[in-house]
Amino acid sequence: MTALLATEHLTMRFGGVVAVDDVSLAVADGELRCLIGPNGAGKSTLFKCLTGQIKPSAGRILWRGQDITGLNSFEIARLGVGIKTQVPSLFDGLTVLESVRLALRRQARERVARVQALATLERLGIVELAQHLVVLLAHGQRQLVELAMVVAPEPDLIILDEPTAGMSAEETTRAARVIRALNAAHTIIVVEHDMQFIRAIAKTVTVLHQGRVLIEDDVASVLADRRVQDVYLGKTDVSWQVVA
Amino acid sequence: MNGIRLPIELTAASVVTIAAILILPHVLELFALINATVYVSMAVLALSLALVWGFGGILCFGQATFFGLGGYAYAVAAINFGDTVYAVPVAIAVPALVAAALGYVMFYGRISDVYIGAITLTLTLILFNFVNSTSGDQWRIGAAPLGGFNGIPSTPPLNMPGDPGNPLPPEWIFAVAMLSLLICYIIAKLILRARFGRVIVAIRENERRAELLGYDVRAYKLGIFVIGGAMAGLSGLLFANCVFVSPTMFSLFYSGQIIVWVMVGGLSTLVGPVIGAILLNLLTTWAGTLPEINPSLILGAILALAVLVMPRGILPSLATVLGRFRGARGMT
Repeated sequence: MTALLATEHLTMRFGGVVAVDDVSLAVADGELRCLIGPNGAGKSTLFKCLTGQIKPSAGRILWRGQDITGLNSFEIARLGVGIKTQVPSLFDGLTVLESVRLALRRQARERVARVQALATLERLGIVELAQHLVVLLAHGQRQLVELAMVVAPEPDLIILDEPTAGMSAEETTRAARVIRALNAAHTIIVVEHDMQFIRAIAKTVTVLHQGRVLIEDDVASVLADRRVQDVYLGKTDVSWQVVA
Repeated sequence: MNGIRLPIELTAASVVTIAAILILPHVLELFALINATVYVSMAVLALSLALVWGFGGILCFGQATFFGLGGYAYAVAAINFGDTVYAVPVAIAVPALVAAALGYVMFYGRISDVYIGAITLTLTLILFNFVNSTSGDQWRIGAAPLGGFNGIPSTPPLNMPGDPGNPLPPEWIFAVAMLSLLICYIIAKLILRARFGRVIVAIRENERRAELLGYDVRAYKLGIFVIGGAMAGLSGLLFANCVFVSPTMFSLFYSGQIIVWVMVGGLSTLVGPVIGAILLNLLTTWAGTLPEINPSLILGAILALAVLVMPRGILPSLATVLGRFRGARGMT
């Protein structure tokens, strides 16, 4: 079966630094995939390549088998990809409702967009914030507003970049619950480095290290893997005869 | 609530416009009426930048480029066509096309905000120098000499449609200017209410997020930039009808002033910049009559004071004060 999103030998170089090195992975429809790795593993660069923020130096990105390498962010979003950034990227001067409505207005008419926006806010439990200015919200609420903007248009794929950044343990547990619930209707890729969070949500995990795929397996096997433990505990003598 | 507010605002603007057209020509002397027409043309110019900068978030330091191009396009076309009514679409189309070409390079080239400011300012200064150097008989377009430093003093005013020998009197020119301002205001209001305008505001708030939601930010920015260019062109046409076109239309003096009008009036409002343009022009004219003191000094002091006391501009500050007053009355 054709993967929903796949990369083939994806490479991103910045001068002499190879941030993403020959990464090939495939995410199937309905999957909940975690991309993990310690700082500097290339997660964020891979995220930027997948979301069209930077153009890869080599390799291809495929959407349902079709080459989408080099498309702009807005073109990737139009394919049906919802993107949530690490630091909430929001319209600070607008209200919560207007923000979510804008996420829907590309496809829907004004009235339909309003109804759908309110329904999304209801679903995420923040409908009481509808008329609040985004700039006045607390960090956790801002995360939820961005999530509402991402899920409102019902994208086929949601890519989340470090969704638990800056969250308390309690908020992280709640976020894991929300992401698992979203996975019932959407394919999800989560870019993360918090192992506790990964344990709480993941099914298949791809571990990146120094720009390359170190291992790709189910969460239990990945957590038990000595090389992964070495990477997270800071040892560097990791063997490269890998890849699932 | 917004659904009710728009018709009220548009009706109020129409009433003010009609009242001004009916009353001012009877109470003002000819010189003052021509001055008032110049202020109205400046208000249209301020409105154009209010859209581009206040709502589109594009800090265009060279809005005078389109103002000057509108004026020159009108003058050249009017002299060549004879019937000056046909020069009107030319005066709007030429700056709009230049804005489209410049905007395409800037926005599709992903040039950052700071450089957009620098590029637009540089363009207007290049045009200022270029037009200044067009004296001599070889610099003419058809029958219209560009006139170099002196500009085109023979800029003909608008005439009655279909009757080139019958130029409009100053009262009518004033009415045309007021109606142009009203039409630009209504267009701006409708744009901001439509999906296009909402996306424009969203792009100002966060360009990256708008793009991640699937909006082609480049096309939206280009769109608002071209609309702003066309409006500035119309303002140049109105200005050319009261004074005449000259290289000063492209000068740093105008480029800087437009930004000040919008800032003092209230960024992110439409009426604010209109009020800012008219008030500051009145002030400049009044300061010019004082023999002992340099008018620029008074203007500078007032601007510094306005920015310190009302950093958000006249209109938003007034709204805040009124809101507090109402709140206080509600409590007693």
